[in-house]
Amino acid sequence: MHYFNIHKEEEMKFNRFWTVTAAAGLLISGLIFTGPATAGETTIKIGNIIPLSGPSASVGQQGKNAREMAVEEINAAGGIKSLGGAKLEMLYADSESKPEKGVSEAERLINTEKVNVLTGCWNSAVTYPTTAVAERYGVPFIVPVSVSDKITEQGFKNVFRIAAKDSWWTRDQFAFLKDMQAEYNTPVKKLAFVYENGDWGKGMAGQWKKLAAENGYEVVLDEPYPSTATDLSPVVQKIRRSRAEVLLLVSNAADAILLTNTLAEYKVRLKAIVATGGGHADPFFIKAVGKNAQYLFDIVEWETDINKPGAKETNEKYNARYGYNLTGEAVDAYVSMYVIKDALERAASFDKEAIRKALAETNLTSGPGMIVGYDAVQFDSSGQNSHASPVIVQINDVGNGLERITVWPKSARRAGYTPVFPKP
Amino acid sequence: MIYLIEDTINGILMGSIYGLTALGLTIIFGVLKVVNFAHGTLLMVSMYAAYWTVTLSGFHPYLALIIVVPVMYVFGYYLQDIVIKPIFKAEKNVREPSTVIIVTTGVWYVLDNLTLMIFGPQYRSLPDNSLQGKMIELGDIFISVPKLWGAVTAVATAYAVYYFFQKTRTGRAIRACSLDRDAASLSGINQYKIYNMAFGLGTAVTGIAAVTLVPFYNTFPSVGVLFDIKGFIIVVLGGLGSIPGAIIGGIIVGVIESVGPQFMTATWTEAIVYGLFLLVLFVKPSGLFGVKYDW
Repeated sequence: MHYFNIHKEEEMKFNRFWTVTAAAGLLISGLIFTGPATAGETTIKIGNIIPLSGPSASVGQQGKNAREMAVEEINAAGGIKSLGGAKLEMLYADSESKPEKGVSEAERLINTEKVNVLTGCWNSAVTYPTTAVAERYGVPFIVPVSVSDKITEQGFKNVFRIAAKDSWWTRDQFAFLKDMQAEYNTPVKKLAFVYENGDWGKGMAGQWKKLAAENGYEVVLDEPYPSTATDLSPVVQKIRRSRAEVLLLVSNAADAILLTNTLAEYKVRLKAIVATGGGHADPFFIKAVGKNAQYLFDIVEWETDINKPGAKETNEKYNARYGYNLTGEAVDAYVSMYVIKDALERAASFDKEAIRKALAETNLTSGPGMIVGYDAVQFDSSGQNSHASPVIVQINDVGNGLERITVWPKSARRAGYTPVFPKP
Repeated sequence: MIYLIEDTINGILMGSIYGLTALGLTIIFGVLKVVNFAHGTLLMVSMYAAYWTVTLSGFHPYLALIIVVPVMYVFGYYLQDIVIKPIFKAEKNVREPSTVIIVTTGVWYVLDNLTLMIFGPQYRSLPDNSLQGKMIELGDIFISVPKLWGAVTAVATAYAVYYFFQKTRTGRAIRACSLDRDAASLSGINQYKIYNMAFGLGTAVTGIAAVTLVPFYNTFPSVGVLFDIKGFIIVVLGGLGSIPGAIIGGIIVGVIESVGPQFMTATWTEAIVYGLFLLVLFVKPSGLFGVKYDW
């Protein structure tokens, strides 16, 4: 990660270089645009640095689609009224998922294109150094979704993140457990943690252990297993004998299927199984395990059935235009545009500092952008959206075959669905 | 105590099935003196054959044997005849031709990727059938029915193969070839035909293993790799080329995998299996049941 920490000396060189380049750029643009300057600005320029080629291109394209749709809606509805109906103008830069590309594109967008706001970059590794550029120039930077915790832990004033950060996934699994116990008046004491023994599983389990201690749960089983296991009945036996009430899982694809089937075969009695995406969110998971998946809970960023005004219509519109459903990433990008619009209305200014101040004071609770599972967008002092949270779904059959049904937070629960807890 | 019994039973059952998946590997090595790196892939192909046979016909999963075994025999026979034999002939004077190992690796990659292209990365499991998810419950002890069937099949197959090698004329010809291919040729045995047959036999046995696996395991393009590594450990443990060694090696691995996690995490049992593998290589390189000379 050496390129994250540019040495002071280099930084100065860097600055000087860009000052010269910017000056040259100004000179050239001055030569080209000889016509009289327009009286007052009419568009707000939003620079978007996202991966449009390279390994994350498909997710970058989804983010671009969602931004485009939101901006079209905003402009069609009259733009920014407090700025005399100023329109939003989108500028896209391809990060190719490369940190150095993100940094240079940010410099270009700020110095040459004179953007008012920046957004991006999906890949946490790109977002991290790129936000530093925005901070240096004092340009507000909206991060729709890059989950690495450290992005909002740099002490920056210009960085605002919409999505939940990494450590909040485990936090919300525990919040969900607590809420379910209260709602169904079924206390849970004993937890079992079973997870794949890679970086991801171990990282999650580390946070679980801390949370379990804080919340007074007893951890009766803490079991990392190899994802390549050909027989998971020994692990399932341990779960059965531990007499755990709730099982928390982190699994890849083949092992998620094997575990789910083996748990059913050994008739392991649990009040709930809570998974962490991955193999359990694989599109083939439900097909491969069938009714054994019933009543399983899983945590995701967003689900198409979310019970929020406008969510269904927005998804239908998006699907009709682009041919696939909204994903969590796309929704975060879509919401970002409405957060920018809201801040601009209140700032009533093109000034970067005024926009930054308005963003910091954001409290967006309703309106067309609010199709997320939580109730408000509000930034804490680090710039993290403090309300952001993933949603929890339950796999069940309500007459259309097994499907993923949003159950938590309660405000986002699918209308008319009562979660099944404890598991019969 | 009751847990120990339950885990040991599960270990023996699952271990016998591991042994069965490794049996084909040991047969092919015993005769051709070639470690077949495409073995896991042959298991994968067999699993797809078994999966589609059962899914399309709706038969009891074990009835798929009627189709899978001959199909896989022919598949193995011609794989050896068309792809591997020319290399053998080119390296006539080498006792353990290493180019053949490279060719089998090629077969592995080609078949795995071909399957990925044709069937996609999906995980497939059989539709509801009379074996899936069934358990025998003896008080607190759970015994998986499909694994029990698999273990019985494994032992029966090992006996049948052993009998075939010892008692039949073709079996004796195969053994003669494995002992000394030149002397066998001089006595009028067509060694390349024997190789084809041995490869076909090994593949057919792998087909039987696949039939025992599909009722409780998923079929996907890279499934072979998971059993491949285990297969190598088992045959080295039991002795490369030894038929009872494959089954017993399988049972040892199965029992460690099943009983071990009750005293430590499942991650550690994997380390123990590999540790034992290394230990056997150090102490008795020919394996627990292997003999210094060929069988």
